[in-house]
Amino acid sequence: MDDIRFAERDLCVTEAKIAARDVQVHYGTNHALKDVNVDILEQTVTAFIGPSGCGKSTFLRCLNRMNDTIPGCRIEGRLTLDGQDIYDPRVDPVQLRAKVGMVFQKPNPFPKSIYDNVAYGPRIHGLTRNKAELDEIVEKSLRRAALWEEAKDRLASPGTGLSGGQQQRLCIARAIATSPEVLLMDEPCSALDPIATAQIEELIDELRAQFSVVIVTHSMQQAARVSQRTAFFHLGRLVEYGETGQIFTNPHDPRTESYISGRIG
Amino acid sequence: MSIGILVLAVLILAAAGFVLGRQRALATAGGDPRRLHSLPGHYGQFTAILAAVPALVLLAIWLLAQPLAIESRIAPMLTADSPADRSLAMADVRRISIGLDLLAVSDRLSEDAVASLSSETLAPRLRQVGTAVTQVTPEALSAAKAHRTMRHTLQIWMTAAVGLTAATCFVFALLRIRPDFRARNVSERFVMWLLIAASLVAVATTAGIVLSLVSETLHFFRIYPAREFFLSLTWNPQFRGGSDLGIWPLLWGTVYISIIALIVAVPIGLLTAVYLSEYASRRTRGWAKPAIEILAGIPTIVYGLFALITVGPALRDWFAQPLGLGASSSSVMTAGLVMGIMLIPFVSSLSDDIINAVPQSLRDGSYGLGATQSETVKLVILPAALPGIVGAVLLAASRAIGETMIVVLGAGAAAKLSLNPFEAMTTVTVKIVSQLTGDTEFASPETLVAFALGLTLFVMTLVLNVLALYIVRKYREQYE
Amino acid sequence: MTDAAAPASPAIRDGSLFAPDAHTRRRNAAERRFRAYGITAVALSILALIVLLVSVLGNGAGAFRQTFIQIPVTIDAKIVDPKGNRALDEMKKVTTIGYGKQLEASMLAAVAAAGVATDGLSRKDIAGLLSKEAAAGLRGMVLENPDLIGRTITFRALANGRIDGYFKGRVSMDSAKLDSNISPAQLVLAERLRDAGLVTVAFNPQFLLGADASEVRPEAAGLGVAILGSAYMMIIVLVLALPLGVAASIYLEEFAPKNRWTDLIEVNIANLAAVPSIVYGILGLAIFINTLGLPQSAPIVGGLILTLMTLPTIIIATRVSLAAVPPSIRDAALGVGASRMQAVFHHVLPLALPGILTGTIIGMARALGETAPLLLIGMVAFVREFPAAPPEGFFSPASALPVQVYNFTQRADPAFVERASGAIIVLLVFLICMNAAAIILRRRFERRW
Repeated sequence: MDDIRFAERDLCVTEAKIAARDVQVHYGTNHALKDVNVDILEQTVTAFIGPSGCGKSTFLRCLNRMNDTIPGCRIEGRLTLDGQDIYDPRVDPVQLRAKVGMVFQKPNPFPKSIYDNVAYGPRIHGLTRNKAELDEIVEKSLRRAALWEEAKDRLASPGTGLSGGQQQRLCIARAIATSPEVLLMDEPCSALDPIATAQIEELIDELRAQFSVVIVTHSMQQAARVSQRTAFFHLGRLVEYGETGQIFTNPHDPRTESYISGRIG
Repeated sequence: MSIGILVLAVLILAAAGFVLGRQRALATAGGDPRRLHSLPGHYGQFTAILAAVPALVLLAIWLLAQPLAIESRIAPMLTADSPADRSLAMADVRRISIGLDLLAVSDRLSEDAVASLSSETLAPRLRQVGTAVTQVTPEALSAAKAHRTMRHTLQIWMTAAVGLTAATCFVFALLRIRPDFRARNVSERFVMWLLIAASLVAVATTAGIVLSLVSETLHFFRIYPAREFFLSLTWNPQFRGGSDLGIWPLLWGTVYISIIALIVAVPIGLLTAVYLSEYASRRTRGWAKPAIEILAGIPTIVYGLFALITVGPALRDWFAQPLGLGASSSSVMTAGLVMGIMLIPFVSSLSDDIINAVPQSLRDGSYGLGATQSETVKLVILPAALPGIVGAVLLAASRAIGETMIVVLGAGAAAKLSLNPFEAMTTVTVKIVSQLTGDTEFASPETLVAFALGLTLFVMTLVLNVLALYIVRKYREQYE
Repeated sequence: MTDAAAPASPAIRDGSLFAPDAHTRRRNAAERRFRAYGITAVALSILALIVLLVSVLGNGAGAFRQTFIQIPVTIDAKIVDPKGNRALDEMKKVTTIGYGKQLEASMLAAVAAAGVATDGLSRKDIAGLLSKEAAAGLRGMVLENPDLIGRTITFRALANGRIDGYFKGRVSMDSAKLDSNISPAQLVLAERLRDAGLVTVAFNPQFLLGADASEVRPEAAGLGVAILGSAYMMIIVLVLALPLGVAASIYLEEFAPKNRWTDLIEVNIANLAAVPSIVYGILGLAIFINTLGLPQSAPIVGGLILTLMTLPTIIIATRVSLAAVPPSIRDAALGVGASRMQAVFHHVLPLALPGILTGTIIGMARALGETAPLLLIGMVAFVREFPAAPPEGFFSPASALPVQVYNFTQRADPAFVERASGAIIVLLVFLICMNAAAIILRRRFERRW
């Protein structure tokens, strides 16, 4: 088993971190996603774009099995993380989500202190042996989320007391504190003002060094600014996937072109 | 003319006012309702209101004031040593006065015959017409005759005054009606005053509770030392006076039982709420939630009987006697356990609301970090819901303290300061019931102590309720 | 959570997704334990409900069936109408003792006619099988229908409570030995009479229709007065609490300015909903009885107290339904020139009505089961006479169903436990009907905006 895994892993590093093959998602009788095939690469920012209701957020939530919490949701096809099937019955979604972190549309800090928010993940996953290690993780995560300077003097004050942009950076710090391999972001800037958005975008670019980042966004400009690869979803189908520059300047599919030029969506 | 007929007459006048007001409005507008400021019906309402309301208000005031006026005139005719004696004598006079009326009707007596009735043979005759008097003194009889005459005279005046008011206002209203008169505004303002008055009933209720409790409690403390009540450790009422009326044994029983009830209800209720809102499938929730709500709809007397015939004997036979802790089927444990069952749905439905108020985004955040469901519940949802849950527990505690029937039937009547949960103890509410349903005289400390106990209970629950309501309100605002 | 023995981050980093590591296994075990706690809690709640219902139903079902002794009785004109003129006033002077003698004779004759051996039981012991209430029943029958005089009728007499208890398993031969009210020989006779068809156990309408009976005659105790008293109080609650509650809610929800005064009213209403019910009893005693001089034990006082108790519930429910009507409806009405009052009464109130009625029914159901305040206003008194028709009936003494339950529990004879449980079944049936009505109302008319 071990040697197979290594072989696969080697393959994946060069090929893809997450691979989706013929993924179908049903909500009850609604066929929400059809035949999605995509490879998400390591150390890359991948953007999912498309009009509302096109299935991009649904697909994002499939990647760490957040759809499990929605009753009536069925997923078919094959989704692998480092070659291991995410939907294999042996997989514990809890362990999966430790590897595939997530940041949500609206900042959702827990009504606890800033410190406890960041320390939550490491604590539940038992990542530290003592307080000093935990302090170190908290500091490192807050620094990486570019929040340390603002928050270091008020670690004990509630996370809900921060501004919107700070809250979202806190949520990012919280997500990276467990050192995930992939970070999923579901329209992380849609609730923020332009200045806070710019800070988060800068942060996403820095995070690329350690993580594979997948970001769902409404804004094409944002996708162009932060991502290296872009996937365009339309009506539950993955229409086009490729280099961001190519998608925006030279799309192959006429639907992509219509969307980019503002005729649909 | 009796009051009922008078009221009926005024109401008939008001009904006539409605019809006439409508017609007159239409007539002044030349039969064209479009020329009126308000709908024709509004003019009818205006006339009806004006005909009925001032007259009925006057009637109500008259009825309240008349006995006071008469009795202040009668009082000098009675010899009495104390205010209590005076009020007793006055009650007698009132009864005899009414009895004379009945007698006059049943025996067809003329006014002169009534005036010449003598006190010796009167008592049995009065009893025959249904008046409960034991004996009639000459003094009481003459006072009663004066009482009766005054009553009759004032009654005639009252009828006249009320009738005149109704008629005057009726005519006045009709005269006011012109096409540009804003009848709708008047009638709506009147309805508004009715609405305001209705919302003041709640305030009046609280005021009534506080006033009746405080005044009787002060009465109690005038005949029984407050120090004793608040500091004595024994509760031992005697029929012949010399009672020990210390509140502590009762408070201890109340608190002890409430604590047991909360120990039962809070974990079960909270876990039930958590399970049903976070874990259970829609189908399970569909039947389990209503089933638990049935528990909430069951009257407390049913729980009381359950304690008396099932739980009490079972606890005695299986726990208390084998463990040598007592042989009584009514005990703190019985009452606490059953009260706990009663509180389960209360705690669970309040907690359910509160847990559902925690935003889904917090759950998502936690699951997104790889937390299990129980970790999410324990580390995110419950801490976030904590203030609300504390509020719910306080409300449950207030319920437990004020609960009566379960403790009356399940806890026993012995006032004791003991730690043994299988011993019968008693509570504040049990003693309120037993002191107020007993045969002791109302003015005795043994009866009046119930009001002091009631005030204590009211204050305790008030503090808990207001605190709980405040916390829950603040909690809800946080997530709105 | 920060377990010292837990492996540090590398375990999760490199571990296969397919094989949970030790830490995850522990977490999953904790998850299963927590889920088990939850299931246990739900199961305990439901178990408590089942035990409670089974206990009450099991004890109370017997109250609806009663042991009767059927004997032919000849109504002797010489005893019941000594002057022979069939004047009701005269006949009323014959007490139950006269009828009792006649029943005793008929009983002995019936036993002899059936050929049942009496084993030397005395006349008194044989007649003792009959309830002491049987004579009163016969007297009532004759006074109601004087034509029966001189005829022989088959009279279905109530059996003594102990005989009834024997057939229901409450009384045994052993307990009868220690009992001064019954002897084992009488029980044997009762069994023989049952074999002979004279003694039957049948549905007992008197339990629902009859009045309460004294402490020594549990077999005759009925709920009629209590049911009527409760019904009177519910009428008063409905007539007073619904309009008052709706009016108060309309003011608070639609018209009241937001200021400290209305805030106070709101806190006050929320608090009133949580004031212990017994405090309302004290209020009733002090204000309605001692100050206003209303009669004790009367449905009017109980009804007023329950009205005050129900008001907060109705106000809270009504305000929720009023608030649920979207503002666009009000805007639409105001937009065509209706006054605010017209907008509320013509549009908002009708739309909120189902919710208001549901709240009212639920509040009344709660009031129906309320006991403690009624104890304080003298409703514990033993009442045998049926109250008159309203409105006078509102002022005459009556009982109430839950108070009757309490009364039954305070009596020594264990037969009253069965009566109390039976009364609770009746109470619960009423409550179920009311709640079902509320649910149907909500299902049929509820509107989601």
